[in-house]
Amino acid sequence: MPLLFIVGSIFSGFSDNFYHLYDNLLLEYSLNSLYLVLGVSFLVTLIGVSTAWLVTFFNFYGRNFFQWSLILPLAVPSYLLAYVFTEFFDHSGTANNILRNILDAERSVIFFPNIRTIFGAIVVFGFTLYPYVYMVSRVAFMNIPSSVIEASLLLGKNSISTLFNLSIPLIRPAIIAGITLVAMETLADFGAVQHFAIPTFTTGIFRTWTGLYDLTTALQLSTILLLVIFIFLTLERGSRNKIRYANSATTNNSFKPVQLKKFNNAIAFVVCFLPVFIGFFLPVFELLNWSSQVDTLISTKTIIAAKNTLYISFTAAMLTCLIALLINFAVRSFGLPQTINDLLSAGYAVPGLILAVGITKMFTNIDTLSSNLDIFITGSIFGLILAYIIKSYAISNNVLNSSFTSIPIALDESAQTLGSNRLSLLKNIHVPLLRTGLITAFLLVMGELIKELPATLILRPFNFDTLSVSVYLLASEERMFEAAFPGLVIIIFGLIPIYFLNNLILSNNK
Amino acid sequence: MKDFLKVKNIDLYFGKEKILNGLNLEIEKGSVVAITGESGSGKTSLLRVICGLESPSNGEIILDTQTLFNDKISVPTEKRNIGLVIQEKVLFPHLDVRKNIEFGISKKNSKEDLSNEIMEKLNISDLAKKYPHELSGGESQRVALGRSIIMTPKVLMLDEPFTGLDKKLKTKIYPVIKSILQDNKITSLMVTHDLNEVRALADKCFNLQSGKLVEV
Repeated sequence: MPLLFIVGSIFSGFSDNFYHLYDNLLLEYSLNSLYLVLGVSFLVTLIGVSTAWLVTFFNFYGRNFFQWSLILPLAVPSYLLAYVFTEFFDHSGTANNILRNILDAERSVIFFPNIRTIFGAIVVFGFTLYPYVYMVSRVAFMNIPSSVIEASLLLGKNSISTLFNLSIPLIRPAIIAGITLVAMETLADFGAVQHFAIPTFTTGIFRTWTGLYDLTTALQLSTILLLVIFIFLTLERGSRNKIRYANSATTNNSFKPVQLKKFNNAIAFVVCFLPVFIGFFLPVFELLNWSSQVDTLISTKTIIAAKNTLYISFTAAMLTCLIALLINFAVRSFGLPQTINDLLSAGYAVPGLILAVGITKMFTNIDTLSSNLDIFITGSIFGLILAYIIKSYAISNNVLNSSFTSIPIALDESAQTLGSNRLSLLKNIHVPLLRTGLITAFLLVMGELIKELPATLILRPFNFDTLSVSVYLLASEERMFEAAFPGLVIIIFGLIPIYFLNNLILSNNK
Repeated sequence: MKDFLKVKNIDLYFGKEKILNGLNLEIEKGSVVAITGESGSGKTSLLRVICGLESPSNGEIILDTQTLFNDKISVPTEKRNIGLVIQEKVLFPHLDVRKNIEFGISKKNSKEDLSNEIMEKLNISDLAKKYPHELSGGESQRVALGRSIIMTPKVLMLDEPFTGLDKKLKTKIYPVIKSILQDNKITSLMVTHDLNEVRALADKCFNLQSGKLVEV
């Protein structure tokens, strides 16, 4: 429904604001968004594929640690790394101070260029989003049968040549799928680009709405961005089909990792260490450092924000899992078409900001229609919960769908022949068997929602701050030290889905 | 005739289990040697050791005049110039037949001529543009064989390459393989369960028992 309100905006005529944006800013928004997507895609491919290749095919110092730690940066939202980078590489930041001390340079000497540029944003996105490419590449590399890699070695190709001539072409669909996810995340981001003051589609939509107070033009800009996202989504779906085809030809045996010696061992260590350090340990250390410089570490505001965050994400995660459970049960037991699940899952691809715009438009229309009832839902908590459910339905559906598949249909039939009706089948058979899946889905959804910024920023009721909103508001006032502790809490919560993702990769390995 | 491939006193362990136990083998240039034995006796492991895909705990492997393995040296697989054709389908799924066959060739000029020649010999020229999933079992094995032969390996290892093919196809394929191996003077080591295969292709046959070879 919210998406229909967004797309429907193109039929309501174009205002002067739209023509003004079209003539003066749309090209800038488009080019900046394009440069960002291209630069980030290149960087995540370089980091994600090289690290996945190293930990899959080679044994080197720290390999066991890197296997799981390489996805840790997923716990760090891009906007947090953007704040850390800005301060860390600032004229008086830690990086310049360390080098000045080492080289005994004067305070006027600056070693690092201004990070608040499009290149800085590319680095920030690159080091927080590369795990998407790493994860899919790692699983795809592990699925290449050892005999295929051995065949290449027997045909005279060394490891590097095998990588470029065989392994990368074989996992190309997986890499494209990973890059597509990264591109969508980059296009949907609001916090980092806003902090770096880079005019992109999302910042443009935000400014049009909150600066020009023109909701219709903001919706029209959202439609253009949605169209681009839709193209990426179609590409990603196409790639997934090809993955199945590429792996269908042979049986599967993982390649035995080759032991690297001396120089190569050190190179492999450095290549894997840098992304984990820059994407995870650097922001965590810096946030710890900032936190230690605040008089009151846990302020009343932070406690309230943490409570709000837990309350809203807990409620939304519970509702999302309940809806996913009921719909999947209906698909299994009542023959509800699977298409409904697919349609609801498409919400994950819609940027939070656009979703917020759509929901606001929908709610104001509902409020206008029901004005005589004296009930207003615009600006209430319902909008935010609805946005969270739409954004995270795909995550809970993926987990519950596969959990349901693992329950043999014969169990349902046995229960029914023993006199169980549908409700008791769900309550007494399915729910107990789905317990692990339900807990996993709940934690994954909650971990994701705690980080969410753009939809929360727009849809939250008045005086309702969450951790992500607190961090954003403090950072926008340059109160970084105060923003550090809530930022750390977000990272700690973000580690929950990482734990489950790691288990998923390891079970795939087995 | 002088021995071309010498395998001396090879021990191979998988965990605590000893798979090859002081194994010795000598093969003359251009001959085809078959190895039979029960399942799990270590036949495939022996081929993998010679190819460099498994590392023995001790012993020595010499090919022609080059030491491939001893307590100081271990030549990497890609530099041993040994071909291996196995029962499992290991054609590269993203490449067509021609590109699969040309995969190991780096000389651009002669690539096409060489692959044409090989495909003609193996009677698979009409499959050149097909992809592995479009091939039958017999066709896949001929492509895999062509891909190895085009590299002019010093030794060709055949690990039950015809298992799974029907009798009719095997009777057809044996003479073709035999003539290719003979014409190109390719030294071969073949692992098989099928005594008909041994009779049709091999000059010598060994049985692998308790990690050692016994001539049959």
